[in-house]
Amino acid sequence: MRNFKFKRALTLIAVTSLLSITVVSIPTAAQAAPACDGKVPVQTCGGATSDGAPYAMMVPANFNGTVYLYSHGYRPNVAVPAGIPGYGGYTVTNTPQPGPNATVIGALLAKGYGVVGSGFARQGWNADSAIKTNVELVGLFKKQFTKTTKVVAWGESLGGFITQALAEKHSDLFSAAAPLCMASDITPLMTMAGDALWGIKTFFDPTIKGGNYSAGAAGYAEAMGDLVKVFTVIGTLQAAFAANASAPAWPATSKVPDAIKAIPSRSALVMIALMSGIPMQSAHFDSTSAPSVLPVASQTSFILAINPAFAALENVANAAALAVLATHDLELQAGGAVFDNTTTDYAARIAEEQFIWASALSGNSGIGGLLSVLAASPRAKANPAAVEKLKTLTSHSGKVDIPTILFTGTADPVTTAGNQQSVVDKYATYWADKWVAARKAGDRKRPANNQLVLWNFPSAKYTKYTAAGAPDTSVPAATGTNHCNFTTSQYMAIADLLAYASANGKNLSGGPLLTKIRKAGNMTYDRGYSAPQLKYYGG
Amino acid sequence: MIRKTRVKGTWLAATVLAVGSLFATALPAHAETGVSSSEIKLGITLPLTGAASPGYNKIGNAMNAYFKYVNDNGGVNGRKITLIQKNDEYSPQLSIAKTNELVLKDKVFALVGPLGTANYTSVHKSVGIAKRGVPSLFLNTGFSGFGNKKTYPTSFMILPSYAMEAKIMAKFLKENYAGKKLGIVYQNDEFGIDGLGAFKAAGTKFDVSVAYTSGTQSAATAQTWVSQLAAGGAQVVVFFGVTSATAPLLAVAAAAKYAPQWILGSVGADPLTLRALGVPLAVLNGALTPAGNPSPNDTSDEYVKQFQEINTKYNTGTAFDDYVLQGMNIGLMTVQALRAAGSNPTRKGLISAMENKGSTFASVAYSPLGYSKTSNVGHTGYYMAVMDANGDRKPFGGKVTLYTTDSGSGPVVVSTFKRPAMPAKGLPNN
Repeated sequence: MRNFKFKRALTLIAVTSLLSITVVSIPTAAQAAPACDGKVPVQTCGGATSDGAPYAMMVPANFNGTVYLYSHGYRPNVAVPAGIPGYGGYTVTNTPQPGPNATVIGALLAKGYGVVGSGFARQGWNADSAIKTNVELVGLFKKQFTKTTKVVAWGESLGGFITQALAEKHSDLFSAAAPLCMASDITPLMTMAGDALWGIKTFFDPTIKGGNYSAGAAGYAEAMGDLVKVFTVIGTLQAAFAANASAPAWPATSKVPDAIKAIPSRSALVMIALMSGIPMQSAHFDSTSAPSVLPVASQTSFILAINPAFAALENVANAAALAVLATHDLELQAGGAVFDNTTTDYAARIAEEQFIWASALSGNSGIGGLLSVLAASPRAKANPAAVEKLKTLTSHSGKVDIPTILFTGTADPVTTAGNQQSVVDKYATYWADKWVAARKAGDRKRPANNQLVLWNFPSAKYTKYTAAGAPDTSVPAATGTNHCNFTTSQYMAIADLLAYASANGKNLSGGPLLTKIRKAGNMTYDRGYSAPQLKYYGG
Repeated sequence: MIRKTRVKGTWLAATVLAVGSLFATALPAHAETGVSSSEIKLGITLPLTGAASPGYNKIGNAMNAYFKYVNDNGGVNGRKITLIQKNDEYSPQLSIAKTNELVLKDKVFALVGPLGTANYTSVHKSVGIAKRGVPSLFLNTGFSGFGNKKTYPTSFMILPSYAMEAKIMAKFLKENYAGKKLGIVYQNDEFGIDGLGAFKAAGTKFDVSVAYTSGTQSAATAQTWVSQLAAGGAQVVVFFGVTSATAPLLAVAAAAKYAPQWILGSVGADPLTLRALGVPLAVLNGALTPAGNPSPNDTSDEYVKQFQEINTKYNTGTAFDDYVLQGMNIGLMTVQALRAAGSNPTRKGLISAMENKGSTFASVAYSPLGYSKTSNVGHTGYYMAVMDANGDRKPFGGKVTLYTTDSGSGPVVVSTFKRPAMPAKGLPNN
C-alpha cells in the first residue's frame, strides 16, 4: 500500500472541549429562598437547594408562564491537570447552568420564557441527587414565580439522562421533556468506557491501569496518571500516522508480540473503536473520502483503510478522557472496580462490523491477529458488590407519559446513538404493553405516542483536504459528529417543539414538524431508522 | 414483519415492530412507495469510480438499457421503470449513505443488484433493509451468508455463492490436477474466506496461500503475491478476488515469466475487462474459470443474441462483456419479478412473488434458481470454462457440464437442468 504522509494535518487533530459551562452572573444566596436582582427586562435569581446545590433562575418581565429547566452534562468530580485534552485545567465547579449556552438562553428569554438550572450538589455521575435537586428547584421556581403554568425539562449528555429520568419519574411536574445526546444507563456506559480503556491498555500500554483505582489520593493519582498515559499513546499514534499512515508504527510502550506488530497499529485502533461501540465517523473523518490528488488506486485504499483509522483515532481521543474520569468517579461511588470483561467475547462483539471494516482491520489475518491478543490478555475483574451497587443507581425504564423529544448525532463518540436507541426501544415496549392492555380491556383506541425521535446524520462525505492532499482538521466538526454538537438553530427548534408539546399535550407532527426541523437544518425524523444497539447491553 | 401504518400524531417504527400484526393495515397498492400510475422507481449502489470500478461500472447502465428497451415496449403493466444509480466507490460507509438516499430521499420501490459483500452487509444492517421491508433483489455478491433467509428476509441473491463456486472448483481440481502443487490468492475478507472455507471442507489443500486486503491491490502488491507463489512452486493457482486484483496478478506473473495453470474465480475473470486493464491475451489463453453464463460472445445463445441487440441500440458504444450480460439479465429478472407482483405491485407482493415464482424465471445462467418461501438463494451452479487466444471463453472439454451444489455440505453433482427459454423478443410475459 502507498505510504501516506500527513505530517502537518495530524498535528492538528484536536479533542473538542467536552465542558460547556454557561456562566450567569447571579446574586449570591446560600439559602433556599431565591435572592433576586429585580432587574428588568430580565430578572435573575440565585440561591441553593437544601442539598447546597446553587441554582440560577432567569425570568423576563413578559414571562409567559413556561419555564425551561436545564440539566447540564458531566463535569468531573476531580480537578484535571492542564494539558489533558477536553478537560485539561478543569477545577471542580458547581456553577449553575440554566441553558445550553448564552445565545439560546437569550433567545428563550426574548420569547418570554423563563429558564432555570442547577449546578448540582456534587459533580461526576450525579443523576440520583440531581433528580432530587431538580424536583426541589421546580417547587422553588413556582413559589417564586407564581405565574408559572408549565415546566419543561431539557438537558444534554448526563443532563439528557437526568431529563429522561425526570420525565419518567415526575410526569406530574413537567409538561414535556427533551433529553438531548443522552447518556445511557450507567452500567452499559461504563462497559463502553471500560472496553475502550482496556483495549488501549492491551494493545498500546499495559502500564495503564484502566480501572480498579485505589481509594483516596492514591486512586486520584492513578487515574490522572492513566490520563497522561492514554493521551501519550494517542499522541504517539498521531505521530506514527503522520509519518506513515499506511503502516504506522506501534508505540514503544506496546508489548504485543512482534508478529502482531506486523499488523499496522491503525488497525488496532479501529478494533478498539469497534469493540467498544465508538462510531467510525468522526469530527473530520467521514470514512468515505480520499484526497483527489491521489492516484485512483490509492484513493480506494485510503477510503477503505486509512480514513476509517483517522476517524477511530479522533473519536477514541474524544472518548478517552471521559472514560478514565468516569471510571474513577463511578468506582469511588460504587466502592470498587465496576468493569468486568472476564466473559466478554470480543470476536462475537465485532462479528458483523469486521465484514464492513475488513480493510481497515487489515483483512481477516489482521482481525485474527488482533483478536488473538484480546483473547490472550489478562481480563479485568469487577468487584461484585460494586457492580450491584451500580445497579441501584437510577436507570431508564422508558415509561414516559408526557411528550418527550429525543435528539442526538448518529456519530456522537461519547454518548453514542445507541444510547438514544435504547430508550426508544424501551418506550416501544412500554407503548406496546399499554396497547395490549387496552385491547384486553376492550378499549380500541390506541394509546398516545408521546415520543418524538430525531437524529442528526453526518453528510456522506465531509472530510476536507488541503491542496496538497492532507486532511484538514482545522475546520469545524461536521454536523452529526462530536459530542452534543448542536447548532443554535437546532437548540431553538427543540425549544419550540417543547413549547408546542407543553401547550398541546402532544408532540408536533406531520408537515409542521417536518417544516420545523427542515428549517433548523440537519434534523431528521425517520421512523424507519434504528441506530445500532449497543452490544454491551447484552453483557 | 413490519407494516407501515400511520398512527395519530407521530409514528414509531419500533413500536410497530413490537406489536406486529396488531397494526396490520392494507395500503392501497397504487400508494406503494416508489410506484405511481406511470412509473416504478428502482435503485442500485455500485462502484462507478475508483480502483474497484472496472467492469462493475457497466452493470447499472446495462440494466438501464434493458429497462429502456422494456419501457419502449410498454413498460411493466403500463409503468415505466426508472433506475437510479448511486456511486458508492466500493466504500461500505458510502454505501450506507447512498442507500439511505435511495430509500428515504428518492423513495425507490426496491433495490436491484446492490454490489459488494461488505457493502451490502453494512447497508442491510445500518439502513434497516429488512426492518423497512425494502425488497432487495439480485444482490451482486455471492457471499453465502446472504442466503440466510431469516437474517435477510427481503433480500434475494442471484449469483451462486462463493462457497458453491469453491466446492465446484475443488471437485475440478481433484479430478484434473491431483498431485500438482496448488496455490491460492484470495481476498482476505468474507468474500475470500467464504471460498476458502469451502475448499477446506472439500479437502483441498493449498501448498501456497496468499491473502490480500481489499483495496490494496496494485502492481506492487501483486509482485509480492507472485514471489510467494513462485517460491512455493505452485503449479496450479486459484484466484479468488476481484478483477482489479486479477489484472495486476496476471500482468506481474507474465512479466516474471511465471506461468502456472490459472484458475480464476468467476468474480475476477471477465476477459474484456482484464484486457482493458492491460493483461495480454497470451496470458489469458488457457486460463480456466467457473462460469455460470454463456460467453458474452456466443451469439448462438438466444439470450446473448437478444441482449447484444439491446446493448447496441440502448447502450451505444459499450462493449458487450460479462458485466453487461449480467446487468441485462438482472434487468430481465427484475421485470419478471415486477410482473409477478401483479398490476399494482407492493413491496410485500414483490417479495411474495420472488418466493413463489422466482424459481421459474427465465435467466441467462444455466443453473437452477433456488428461490422459495424458505430460500433466497439464486443460481446454484457453474460449469468450467477455458479462455482461448481470442479472449473468448469456451466450455472446458468442449461442452457445458453443469455442476450444481449448495453452500453447505451437499454434494457437487452433474445437473441435467434445462434453463427456461428466453421470452419472445426478450420481453417477459409471465
